[in-house]
Amino acid sequence: MHNSRKRIAVLFGGRSVEHEISVITALQLMLAINPERFDVVPVYIAPNGAWYTGDQLLHRSFYRSVPAGLATLQEVTLLPKPGVGGLMRTGDSGAQITDLLSRRDEVIPIDVFMPVFHGQYGEDGCIQGLFELANVPYTGSDFTSSAVTMNKYICKRYLEAHGVPVLPALTLRRSDARTDLASAVQSITSHERFSSFPLFVKPCNLGSSIGVSRVKDVTELPAALAKVFKYDTLALIEPCVTDIMEINISVRDAGTIEASVVEIPVSESGVLSYEEKYLRPGGKKSGPSQGMAGLSRIIDPPDLDSDIKERVSALGIKSFELLGCSGVARLDFIYDLTKGELYFNELNAFPGSCAFYLWARSAPRVLYTDLIDQMITTALSHFAVKSSLDRDIGLKALR
Amino acid sequence: MITKGSIILFIAALVLFGWRRILAYLRFFQQEEYNQVRFVRWMTSHRAFDKRGTAIVACALVANLIFCGGWIVPLSALLAATALVVTVYFFESDPRSTGKIKLVMTQRATKIASASLALYILVTLLPLGLLCFRSCGLHEAMIITCLFALILTQSPPWLLIDANRLLWPFEQSLQRTFIDDAKGKLAQYKPFVIGITGSYGKTGAKAALGELLNQSLGPTFWPKKSINTVLGITRAIREDLRPYHRFAVMEMGAYNIGSIKKLCELTPPQAALVTAVGIMHLERFGSPENVYRAKSELAQAVSQDGILVCNGDNPGARRMAKQYDKQTTLLYGLDSSSGALDCLATDVRFDDGGTSCTIQWKDKQYPARTPLLGRPALSNALGAFTMACALGAEPSYAAACMANLQPVDNRLVLDRKGSVGFLRDAYNSNPTGFEAALEVLGTLPASRRILMTPGMIELGEQQSEQNRRLARIAAGVIDLAIIVGTVNREALLAGLTDGGFPADKIIRVETRDDAFRILASQEHSGDLILIENDLGDIHEGVVRF
Repeated sequence: MHNSRKRIAVLFGGRSVEHEISVITALQLMLAINPERFDVVPVYIAPNGAWYTGDQLLHRSFYRSVPAGLATLQEVTLLPKPGVGGLMRTGDSGAQITDLLSRRDEVIPIDVFMPVFHGQYGEDGCIQGLFELANVPYTGSDFTSSAVTMNKYICKRYLEAHGVPVLPALTLRRSDARTDLASAVQSITSHERFSSFPLFVKPCNLGSSIGVSRVKDVTELPAALAKVFKYDTLALIEPCVTDIMEINISVRDAGTIEASVVEIPVSESGVLSYEEKYLRPGGKKSGPSQGMAGLSRIIDPPDLDSDIKERVSALGIKSFELLGCSGVARLDFIYDLTKGELYFNELNAFPGSCAFYLWARSAPRVLYTDLIDQMITTALSHFAVKSSLDRDIGLKALR
Repeated sequence: MITKGSIILFIAALVLFGWRRILAYLRFFQQEEYNQVRFVRWMTSHRAFDKRGTAIVACALVANLIFCGGWIVPLSALLAATALVVTVYFFESDPRSTGKIKLVMTQRATKIASASLALYILVTLLPLGLLCFRSCGLHEAMIITCLFALILTQSPPWLLIDANRLLWPFEQSLQRTFIDDAKGKLAQYKPFVIGITGSYGKTGAKAALGELLNQSLGPTFWPKKSINTVLGITRAIREDLRPYHRFAVMEMGAYNIGSIKKLCELTPPQAALVTAVGIMHLERFGSPENVYRAKSELAQAVSQDGILVCNGDNPGARRMAKQYDKQTTLLYGLDSSSGALDCLATDVRFDDGGTSCTIQWKDKQYPARTPLLGRPALSNALGAFTMACALGAEPSYAAACMANLQPVDNRLVLDRKGSVGFLRDAYNSNPTGFEAALEVLGTLPASRRILMTPGMIELGEQQSEQNRRLARIAAGVIDLAIIVGTVNREALLAGLTDGGFPADKIIRVETRDDAFRILASQEHSGDLILIENDLGDIHEGVVRF
């Protein structure tokens, strides 16, 4: 057997409102990755979309120097062309890249690409599409699953059609609201399920609670819609079931599909804000933010009915499979305490902190390092399957 | 040999000392926008001349004049060298990393600093040459070096001015290239340009209009923060203007008569928003009429078929709307008592979450809410709303978007830390803003209301009178006053006394940091503290050289 040591490009940052969260997740992940099996090449996508690599990217303190510090990095890119074998250097730079890469080759060889993005352009199929064009192995869900799960509305409708219970939802286009806001508001409240408040109004294609409002009455609706349309062209409106409990679970593809223990996120205001999710637990006073891993939550609550846990687990696995996901995902469910009903709410194709905190408490216990190992192994085996597909039938029609 | 070496070491220490001082003075030269007149005025008014370096060198000189022994030369040279280096590197902090406004090593700053250092070294070559060519004894050489050093320690600010003058022709041709480039880009992409000016409020109005247009009509470009000069706007256009931008909102600062005209040549406006014609920067203009003339250049630059939106609450802006009437001329305001308004905000209420109101526009009413606090911020948002509607935005949508506006840095921002609230209004205070901040301070719930301020500056002859007037109003609102610095101390004290404010509730401090220390030691639950104005370090009497 040839040397099995692999070089992994960990890609993070990106043109998304969740840029910083992606950096936090990536820094955690790069510390957890198995150094005996893998060499890490950090690839930072700056907010302007340019790609960079360099050893400085492994240090949290570096990001305070962005954008000025970018000049000290090596700019790279991935060509949408099969057979290149890695990242291309572009432009010139004096960046120090690990010793074994210090040769001034034009291509930095990469074995597996690991996208560590939250939100747009990284978790929604865009970068996965580029990996497909470049014909390189990559971890996590493929572009179709990523795209479907990022659009909360399409995802719900698809799962609903396959028998997964979901809460009703409406969408509203930005262009409609901008031409006539009054009738747009009217179009929402005229629906029977949406005539009573409170309602949730959120961007259809965003995670992280950015742009989300809990609307108490009709007068608050215009501002809530305007807030969504600052970030997205499609608003998702959902009834706000009052007496609920949020239950999250992580599901992964490890050859077979497995579910982790469940967690119940704890919130003070009834809806997790961006600050609560990412800033509060590790806010400025108490040291650096730990991303999703730092949130107030109860993992595997002992007093939660085991029947509910099993239902969440079964629905989680079913949804993950239906959507064709891979890697590690986190699924958020809503449990209606009055009716005893469970609803699928959303699926994060690449969850904050890679949901490692759930796997660390599962039985059998899965360490973060092993979680990443498995993601890479799965990526390589999926790539092998795809490589055996015949795509070249020769040129006939043109001859 | 040792003696000669020690003198060389002394000269080397002088160079290190000079470099650090060049940077220290450059920080203030930069804050005065490389304007030598204002820089020299600052130096003389703050007596910011070197004292430490001169004292060290003078000691060495006196020692050499009194004693003639061979040992005094190396001893005094070494001691002086050590003292010089220790002074600037251990007692004084790096101007690039300290201070309220730090020295930013831009290309221009780097060039000026390097040229100044080159000039400085040129001067040190003279005593060095004297030493090397041995045209005199070492004792005399040391005395001559000390005399040169006395000049050198005082030279950094003047060398900066010389370097700036030397570099000016190159700087000018470089600037011209950049300006032409920006003009070309603007002509190629053709965004609809809206110019904004006003004695105050223009930065807030720019951000509000940029946001409202971007959200309700189409991609909008606006230079961030308070960029409002030819060079600042040029840079912003070259770096950030894109072909997809449909609108471009430009803040135009009036530093002199003719400066807005110059800005209008760079970015010819098709519409104009005038937030206020007031008495800010009166020292630069001489008279209120000149301020009006300077601001009018924007209204004049808009063609007859263009749009002019003016703040109807401000007499100067109202007069401008009348004098330079366009095809579409609109007035906005919060108070219709001084004449008809096209856009009026009523039912203005403040709370912890911001300001809410009802907007009346074209016979219809729109409820609006914004996280911005205070009447001036609401007025800016209203101006932006009026302009957006004039450009075709759907009024109810534009009103809804007001909820997405964010306060511009430190312009009346409420920041609650536990049970103590801070109202920060620390940027370029002006009478209207100050009065509005006091209104918010008086409206929001609090058990004790505190005002911390150095007063307002750049108000010319009216400075003392205006500070006194606002302090009198404050007396009716606050429970404790903290007066920072000495710039307006007398006027503020007089105003507080006029308002019958108890003298034992007034605290005088030298600097902002002292004020924060006192605040921290006296904090009560339920305190609401208004931090009104924060003068740059250029105005605080704390510089020591």
